[in-house]
Amino acid sequence: MIHDFIAIIQDYWLLLLIGQYPNGPLGGLANTLILSALAIAFAFPVSILMALARLSKWWFLRWPMTALVYVTRGVPLLMLILWCYFVIPLWTGADVPSFLIMLVTLVIYQGAFLSEVVRAGIVSLGQGQMDAARALGHGYMGAMRFVILPQALYNMIPSMISTFVSTIKDTTLGYVINVPDLTFAASQVNNQLLTQPFQVFLILAVVYYILCWSLTYVANSVERRIARRRAGPRNPRLPAEAAPLKTITEQL
Amino acid sequence: MSTSVSEPQAAQAIRIADVCKSYGDYQVLKNINAEVARGEVVVICGPSGSGKSTLIRTVNRLEEINSGGISFEGQNIHAAMRSSELNKLRSRIGFVFQSFNLFPHLSVVENVSMSPIRVKGVSPATAHEKALKLLDRVGLADKANSYPGQLSGGQQQRVAIARALAMEPPVMLFDEPTSALDPEMVGEVLSVMKSLAAEGMTMLCVTHEMGFARDVADRIWFIDAGEILETAPPEEFFKNPRHPRAQRFLADLRH
Repeated sequence: MIHDFIAIIQDYWLLLLIGQYPNGPLGGLANTLILSALAIAFAFPVSILMALARLSKWWFLRWPMTALVYVTRGVPLLMLILWCYFVIPLWTGADVPSFLIMLVTLVIYQGAFLSEVVRAGIVSLGQGQMDAARALGHGYMGAMRFVILPQALYNMIPSMISTFVSTIKDTTLGYVINVPDLTFAASQVNNQLLTQPFQVFLILAVVYYILCWSLTYVANSVERRIARRRAGPRNPRLPAEAAPLKTITEQL
Repeated sequence: MSTSVSEPQAAQAIRIADVCKSYGDYQVLKNINAEVARGEVVVICGPSGSGKSTLIRTVNRLEEINSGGISFEGQNIHAAMRSSELNKLRSRIGFVFQSFNLFPHLSVVENVSMSPIRVKGVSPATAHEKALKLLDRVGLADKANSYPGQLSGGQQQRVAIARALAMEPPVMLFDEPTSALDPEMVGEVLSVMKSLAAEGMTMLCVTHEMGFARDVADRIWFIDAGEILETAPPEEFFKNPRHPRAQRFLADLRH
């Protein structure tokens, strides 16, 4: 059994790592990492803009964004991916690479989820912080940037990590539109071996687990460091306060 | 009252004219007319729910009004204006909240120096130095690098006063600054306010601290059910309140 794993990794590690590259497109784990990183990197600022639009006093920002969030949340990601994959080339006539389609779909989808997290973080701060900032002469955007968002985003780190982790996991759905990621590579390996699906997909699962766990670990330590700095060395309440956040992230 | 003759602007720091405000059918402020002169300390008192906090929050337009106007140094703060203009006006009106509302993600000195840097464009070094001076003035120089969560309520409120003063406002508004404090911490905040008053700061304070009102105020506005029923110097107000509602309010306080 162990021997099987070692044999698979020995024979196919390069395919699993970078796909067909340099003879074909970059794939495998490298592509999964790039897709995840780009999706998170774009979804995060997009989600802040979406949250601000949903909280805006202007209906022409609020209404369309609310509609977008509701539709996105109420539709399976797979359906959204297929829809973009088939409809965008039809409408634009352009041959959009499936990687790009996957990226854009992920950014919209995860951006919508993340925007609800950000919005909850902003709303849960209460009116007092905004009042204080306005009373000191800050404009709305200044108050958001220097007072509200730093607190809201910090408070929402656990929920944001869980959205980031699900972004990584959702990149696997790129498989259905032939994005050559790690899942795609594993499936190719499986097709060649035919007899060892358990071993192949267990390797896949372990790699995804390590990936998601590392992200959670890094985010948790960042959060702890900020909390420690704010509470100071003398504050005995810190461990109790940090505990519930940890249990949430551990459910992932 | 320290109104200099050469001052081109109005003698009043704040003039409230015919201000009405309703929440739906409920009228919170009924035709309020009042003035605060430069250098004057006015204490607003009255039973809870009378509209005191709403009134003081309309002065820097944290609350909108339905009709009337409030002029601050001759400019109507409730006039239609660009938000940048309103922000500029607001930055010249210090406001201290009942619940402190310090920024918990910033250290004490950053709380005080952030707005001068971001709003007025003061250089960080200058703002930092000024903040340390202000913290020294409110007796908290040693807490500069602490975070608000590590301070007691009284200390937090003193930081909040320093934060408001950092914008160098000619006027300070206090909305029940001691109501959220444990009794033993009320004194430290009041003494900071007293020293401000002694330096000639124009102050409008909503407070239940009648001792402070008696010692520091130049005038008292007694407000009930959204109306200013009586304005008088403290000695007159506490000895011979004219309005029956004020008489009853003071009698209730003595029990």
